[in-house]
Amino acid sequence: METFQHLMGGFATALSPLNLLFATIGCILGTLIGVLPGLGPAAGTALLIPITFKLDPTAAIIMLAAIYYGAMYGGTITSVLVNVPGEAASVVTCLDGYAMAKQGRAGAALGIAAIGSFIGGSVATLGLVVMALPLSHFALKFGPPEYFSLILVGLSLVMALAGKSLTKALVMGVVGLIFSFVGIDPIEGAPRFDFGITQLLDGIRFVPVVMGFFGLGEILVNAEQSLESVVMGEGKVSSFLPRRDEYRICLSAINRGTWLGFFLGLIPGTNSAVASFMSYAIEKKVSKHPEKFGTGLIEGVAAPETANNSYANAALIPLFTLGIPGSPTVAILMGALIMNGLTPGPLLFSQHATFVWAVIASLYIGNVILLILNLPLVNWWAKLLKIPYNILVVFILVFCIIGAYSLNNSVFDVGMMIFCGLLGYVFKKLDFPLAPAILTLILGPQMERSLRESLSLSQGDYSIFFTRWISLVLLIITAIIFATSAWQALPSAVREESKGAQV
Amino acid sequence: MSIVDRVAWSALLLFGVFVVYESLQIKYYGSDFGPGPGFFSFWLGVLVIGLSVVEIGRTFRRSVPLPANFFPGRDGLLRIGYLLGALVASVLLLERLGYSLTMFLFCGFLLRVLGKQAWWLTVILTLLGSFGTAYLFRQLQVILPGGIFGI
Repeated sequence: METFQHLMGGFATALSPLNLLFATIGCILGTLIGVLPGLGPAAGTALLIPITFKLDPTAAIIMLAAIYYGAMYGGTITSVLVNVPGEAASVVTCLDGYAMAKQGRAGAALGIAAIGSFIGGSVATLGLVVMALPLSHFALKFGPPEYFSLILVGLSLVMALAGKSLTKALVMGVVGLIFSFVGIDPIEGAPRFDFGITQLLDGIRFVPVVMGFFGLGEILVNAEQSLESVVMGEGKVSSFLPRRDEYRICLSAINRGTWLGFFLGLIPGTNSAVASFMSYAIEKKVSKHPEKFGTGLIEGVAAPETANNSYANAALIPLFTLGIPGSPTVAILMGALIMNGLTPGPLLFSQHATFVWAVIASLYIGNVILLILNLPLVNWWAKLLKIPYNILVVFILVFCIIGAYSLNNSVFDVGMMIFCGLLGYVFKKLDFPLAPAILTLILGPQMERSLRESLSLSQGDYSIFFTRWISLVLLIITAIIFATSAWQALPSAVREESKGAQV
Repeated sequence: MSIVDRVAWSALLLFGVFVVYESLQIKYYGSDFGPGPGFFSFWLGVLVIGLSVVEIGRTFRRSVPLPANFFPGRDGLLRIGYLLGALVASVLLLERLGYSLTMFLFCGFLLRVLGKQAWWLTVILTLLGSFGTAYLFRQLQVILPGGIFGI
């Protein structure tokens, strides 16, 4: 009851005209920043912190939180329209979102992304109110062995991201992992695969790889034919709502995406890309026609977009309750809290109750604003596809160059993007799936660190992964995913033969 | 497709061998407990080699026809060459000429040669793509190279 009263008080503060205005401005700015390739939520939020300097702490955090989830949605727009994900969480949206755009259904893809994000974000905010503290304590049970096992679950999803060939998906997963090991070894500081190039000591950054693989790779494939003949979206803009026969599928996908994103958001150290990749893989697993994923299925957009927004809101739970930032963007929000004289952690709820509950209420309001702002704008964004491709392509490349360069103010990253673009083109031509490489590139360093930290804890004893129950459960899940995926990958004749033998 | 696949998997096989070779130059066991910096990459290289050998073997057992238009035509190759050439040139010029001038040349070339736009539209779009984006991103406090002219 007390929680409810606090929440109502929070709504009263957050709904004050000024705070409402800041939330709206934050959503607009965040979306605009997110649309610019290379400027993901973390960079976007960091860039816009100075705007909030003159605001009072509550208004400042309300605005920054609005920028955060506005940027998350902005990343989706470029993924769907031009196949250039603004940040890691949107990579998987490219697979079916861009295919939908090419079929003239960009409106429906962006619409379901906005609706899914709203539902996912709202449920996660409700979860923040109801279950924040107990769930955070559960999440604290995650040590290096549990992380390692959780990442193995994530890696097993490579199998689910396989297209026609499991071997090709596996080898792409391995290539992503090898890319992720370039640079300084995280435990001993030994340089690896740097070939004497200083810039490689920092490792291969994710953004140039994604821009190259997806953005530039696609452009090079399209350049095989005359650019004037490339028609995006068949020149028409669809409704922003799904077709009638898609409603039930979307609702189920959104439901699963919400809970998955919420659960992963609670665990510090995970990231929103894992949530979106996992939810995509789960949809593919439960689908009656998994082979059609990647050809423009609406659930392939609904689930990851819901999961990533649910994750974004749930990631604030460990921040508020334990003072642990769950992701880079949340770490920036934490910095903003500290700059405003507020120390995140258990005492925040007792010492600054008005502030915390106002921010929680504003999260919900922010989701509503984002939906109201974006649904009418969906068709407007989708009209970008009406720009002739031979003009659009030049601007996509300009934004890719800026995105890659601005990461570290280095032309090396632009060169890396071009190299990855060429690789992406070759892999596309040879029908090698790109998503597994991206997933493993993200998870690789964390996997290696968790494994080696776990073994340091256990003094080299591998049983540490089986004697801790959370880790054991996650390993069993991994084994089940591997076994079922390998079984499905067997030629149907072999499967039938095996079934016959059992009978 | 079989020959193309064979070439692709052979390239991956070489990549695997290279990764294994490089990994052997790094410590396999860590100074603490368990694996060292070279452990993972060594086994991943072995995995790439294994998968490549299996797939190369498969290309000899079954023949899959190449999809239509697998190889781009002469014009297609030329367009890809223009795009890559313009990108490489922009990398080389970015810090010398500065962002705005480099992008001016980049956009102008691509819009005129690949985009086949009218002169007036090329000029307007080129200005937008170069000086316009420079203004926008500098407003967002993104640092872009100024080059010898400082623009």
